Amino acid sequence: MSGKRFYKVGRRPWELRLAPSGINERQRSRLPGTRGHWLKWRDVHNPKTLRRERVLADKMPLWWTLGLSFVAIVTPFLSNSLLSVVSIFCVYAAINVLWTLIVGTAGIFSLATLAVVGASGYVAAAANVYLGVPWPFMLLIGPMVGFVFGAVLAAPSTRLDGLYYALLTMGVAEICRVFVLQLRPLTATGGAITQVDSFIPEDWFLQRPGLLLGFAGAFLLLLGALLVWRLVNSERLGMLLRVARTGREDEAFAEAIGIDFRRARLMVFVISSAALGVVGAFYAMYFRSISPQIFSLDQMLMLFAMMVIGGLGRAEGAVVGAAIVTLIDKGLIELGPPRIILVAFIMIGVTIFAREGLTGARAQFRDFRNRKAGERRARRTEKGGEAMPEEATEVHDKQELYYRRFNKRLRERLKKLITPELIEEHRRDPLGHHSDELARVLNYFRRGEMADKYVIHRMVPAEEKFRVMAVSGQRGMPPRVIDDREYHDIKEAYHAVFLLRVNDLLES
Amino acid sequence: MRSSCCASTTCWRADITDIRLFGYADPLAAQAGKPIDFMVSAEGTKEVRAEIVRLVHGDFNPEGPGFIEEPVDTNVPQTLAVRRQYTQNGAFARVDDPADHLATDGAFTVHVFIWPSLPSGSRQAVIGRWSVNESKGYALGINPEGKLEFWVGDGETVDQVTADAPLVPKVWVLAAASFDPATGEARLRQIDVQNSWNSHIGPVVPYDHNTHVVETLRCRPAHPDAPFLIAGAHEENPERGRFVSMLFNGKIDRSGLVSRVLSADEMQEIAGGTPPADPLAYWDTTAGYDDMGIGPDIQDTGPHGLHARGVNRPIRAMTGWNWRGREDCFRLDPSQYGGVAYHDDALTDCGWDTTVTWTPPADLKSGVYALKITAGNAIDRAPVIIRPDKPRAKIAVQMSTFTYLAYANEHLSFEAQIAQAIVAHTPVISGDDLEYHKLQEFGLSTYDHHTDGAGVCYSSWKRPIINIRPGYRMAGMNFPWALPADLSLLWWLEHAGYDYDLITDHDLDREGLAVLTPYKTVLNVTHPEYYSEGMLDATEAYLRQGGRVMYLGGNGYYWVTAACPDDPACIEVRKLDAGSRAWQAEAGEGYLASSGERSGLWRSRGRPPQKLVGLGFTTEGMDRAEPFERMPDSFHKRVAWIFDGIGDEELIGDFGLALGGAAGVELDRYDLMLGTPPHTMLLASSIDHTDNYPLVSEEITYAFPGRGGSQDPQVRGDMIYFTTANNGAVFAAGSISWSQALPCHGGENNVATVMRNVLNAFIKDGALPGSGITGDEKHWR
Repeated sequence: MSGKRFYKVGRRPWELRLAPSGINERQRSRLPGTRGHWLKWRDVHNPKTLRRERVLADKMPLWWTLGLSFVAIVTPFLSNSLLSVVSIFCVYAAINVLWTLIVGTAGIFSLATLAVVGASGYVAAAANVYLGVPWPFMLLIGPMVGFVFGAVLAAPSTRLDGLYYALLTMGVAEICRVFVLQLRPLTATGGAITQVDSFIPEDWFLQRPGLLLGFAGAFLLLLGALLVWRLVNSERLGMLLRVARTGREDEAFAEAIGIDFRRARLMVFVISSAALGVVGAFYAMYFRSISPQIFSLDQMLMLFAMMVIGGLGRAEGAVVGAAIVTLIDKGLIELGPPRIILVAFIMIGVTIFAREGLTGARAQFRDFRNRKAGERRARRTEKGGEAMPEEATEVHDKQELYYRRFNKRLRERLKKLITPELIEEHRRDPLGHHSDELARVLNYFRRGEMADKYVIHRMVPAEEKFRVMAVSGQRGMPPRVIDDREYHDIKEAYHAVFLLRVNDLLES
Repeated sequence: MRSSCCASTTCWRADITDIRLFGYADPLAAQAGKPIDFMVSAEGTKEVRAEIVRLVHGDFNPEGPGFIEEPVDTNVPQTLAVRRQYTQNGAFARVDDPADHLATDGAFTVHVFIWPSLPSGSRQAVIGRWSVNESKGYALGINPEGKLEFWVGDGETVDQVTADAPLVPKVWVLAAASFDPATGEARLRQIDVQNSWNSHIGPVVPYDHNTHVVETLRCRPAHPDAPFLIAGAHEENPERGRFVSMLFNGKIDRSGLVSRVLSADEMQEIAGGTPPADPLAYWDTTAGYDDMGIGPDIQDTGPHGLHARGVNRPIRAMTGWNWRGREDCFRLDPSQYGGVAYHDDALTDCGWDTTVTWTPPADLKSGVYALKITAGNAIDRAPVIIRPDKPRAKIAVQMSTFTYLAYANEHLSFEAQIAQAIVAHTPVISGDDLEYHKLQEFGLSTYDHHTDGAGVCYSSWKRPIINIRPGYRMAGMNFPWALPADLSLLWWLEHAGYDYDLITDHDLDREGLAVLTPYKTVLNVTHPEYYSEGMLDATEAYLRQGGRVMYLGGNGYYWVTAACPDDPACIEVRKLDAGSRAWQAEAGEGYLASSGERSGLWRSRGRPPQKLVGLGFTTEGMDRAEPFERMPDSFHKRVAWIFDGIGDEELIGDFGLALGGAAGVELDRYDLMLGTPPHTMLLASSIDHTDNYPLVSEEITYAFPGRGGSQDPQVRGDMIYFTTANNGAVFAAGSISWSQALPCHGGENNVATVMRNVLNAFIKDGALPGSGITGDEKHWR
């Protein structure tokens, strides 16, 4: 077969696979307080060796551990300015992760995230500065305020649709900003509360030890946010929402079968808001002050940019997006205003080229690669031809490959038998004594596989009125109608099926 | 009064209205003077018009008399209140446990040998007490990934421990789960018990079938409002009520519960075949076998005797986890036959509530009747065969109820790839076919396969059966099959003025010779394919005592069949080793649980049909039918009377409602080698068959080309005659389409002439015509 091109197909897995033994007892421990396991190990039978292999079905925990460890280990060795950039990154990443819960899991498009952080921060700071509440209590006041604020914000979310609700929440943030700016006691500081007590001792503030302590706090804050994210998503609440959330119709369906979808969404919203309250308190402590800037639109949009760049709805997206934007915004501060333009360009680029942000790029690349492979396959496929190499690797029953090859050659021979005389012979008597040629052709047709096999439908009981259908080959799946032609003689119907099959044969 | 109308059982249903009607009669083989229950399920209407009709002719073919039914005056109300009735599909076993022994609050271990046949796709419950709707209880089952899983639920939370490795289809393993509520520790074990014989693949395949996982669960099983089930889980909803879902596919062998956590050594003992010493319950699937087989209920040999009741007939007499191939029947060693097969699409009893009961008067004319129900454009007829209260006629027609059940609701046209090649037709399906196929609610025939590919061995009349409806044509070949076809014979008997009684396979199987003795002659219908030993014995004894049998079918007395002793509505057959078989039983699983005998072909058990009626199956084809041609024997004075009124070279039956001939569809042959009585006279044979009539597989030892009708002389149908002791005789025309040639030309044709000649002689007492001619008096033309 010279001139035939052969293609290399198939892929080799590069992942680590363990070789467990079934004899050994395996103790599986769980994430405390949940039903989830630490790592999602799955045993499979390797299709080539049939030996048992243990693969890590969900590799995200691995990447998280590597990524977070890297941050934790490398950061203490950075310069003071970079150290504070990383700390700020951690705070924003925490906010983003919690926002992801609201937007992604709960499916509520709220832009009041920073408003919740700000309000909690303000109240906590005010309690500390004006009422003399010691700083550790700020970490309790914050979430309480967040909880209440969240509950208030959540109320209209079930009444308003996406865009209107987003505008509403933007309005709320703006009201907060204006309110704080107009507060008489704060006019001196331009609306800011300063001199907030902190977990960082005052004389360490902006010093190396203070910065290190600040980073440690921010890092723990991020871990806490991720824990909340994980708990909400892995428990009944999040699972419920994931089951229900694929569209509005499903939401209706979910409610019909007794899932209280609305309540679950509000729960997630309120939990996230309380967690954002902690971030607010931490924010005030970390900077030892809090200003109306936190309610501003540009802060909100910066947060939005992080989400878009990282990928909406997933924790890793929130963190990666926060890292990129914070690095540019705070790390390249000497670039001046163009850095904002840079963020904008990255955002636009990501929206144009990536479907689901940078963290979705891998899946997107896979899809792209599969699509290209599919296109190549489609180009080379011939109807009724032999199995192509890439198909062959996917066919479990290898005998099927031989059938494909055999039938292709059989069809080539049968095609030569199709003549006007043969067709006429069948038309005259579809059930008669047939010539050897016609018998061969008919037998091939009749032996064809079940899927899409032609049958005749008697359209009215006891009447000679027929049409041609094709059966599904699957139990319970009804046949489909081939065309709208009707036949009033069963012989005509038999012959119509014959012509369809001859046509299929000649086309292959 | 006769009304002739179209045979619509209706594609109207699907196309025009939303009303759907389905009904069935219990018993299908009834008797005048005894009550008949009709079950009806209706959707889209609350009431239906009802009447009893007598079915006179079953096909609308214009060459015959058309579709004919007669209304009958009865006390059945003209309108019936109806409702939707649900059908529980799937086989499982239910343990009645009124004292709640199995809802244990302490530590326990559940152990079970399983051979899952479809371990992935949907969740399956193997054993346990689990309520799907309440999420309460515990169960050992298979998760959608195909892994063994033990789960518990308290109504709020469900928690589970899952095996590491997926189960391998059709390989035996011991599955066991222990749970200790004090610590919450759950221990799931899967232990390899595969050997060279018991599984689909052998030990050379390097699978590791063992796993052992331990986890601490977060909840404790609560007591559900649900029974303990094997091969399913309880579910309930307001519309349907209580039913069983999460059905299991595969075999389950011995299983049990122990009220403590078993140690590794104790588990190994169970895996070695020793049952636990202190069971709470132990369902010993090997207990209860005797020489005659075993019923559907599974014995608990534990302290409380909590027997499991089989629903939809779990299949017994199947090889178990410890089968070693040497013993191929449970009668040799029941301990190797603990396998019980469950299928999620098994159905032997719809279990519907009775809609109306009709007690036909004792003097009702024997015949095929039906409850005809109509609502809007929807019509359904639930047929019932009514035997007279006592023998009243000289002629008995033996309706082949075993065959009707064997083919009940066959799926061949939709599912069997080779069906079109066998019948040489493109199927012609009706609206009813589409409806039944879409619903998939009324079970399968012994020509179909369960979802896991296993052949169907049980079929019962306790369900709507589409292909016993009058007017129904078998989709595969576009002519009536079995009951609707047999109506052609009944129509002709009435037309020709013969009085007859109907009897059924079930009557003969149950009562034996006594059913036949009162009659001068007994007629077989078109396709008496499924026969029990009792039926053969009765027919044989009848012939020996001077009875006269007219065998007027094709492929008769073929499959070893038994009616289930505990439920006559249900028959069992295992397709085996030889014959035209839609499936083949797995090794060691060829014996009937209902009778203890080897199933398969009667021919393989030393009773080929030739020994009884002179003919046996030789070929089948469904493209066209041919006529019979007289053979030299037919001119002998001993039998020439059979051909009175027929020309020497006249072709007999070159017409017919089934494929246009009297010799077609399935044909039987005279063969001395197979036990045809040596004095049998070969009266006529069919000629000129196409190659779509190949020689049947049981005749083929070496395969070589040219076994079709145009090349092989064994491809033909024969007409024979022989006498037995005491003025008995057999006339046999070995062709399914024989009786369907009778209604042509207004019922006056040469097939009818042969029939009249034979019938007139057979219903007379004393010596048969020609019986005095014992020499070689030939009467050559």
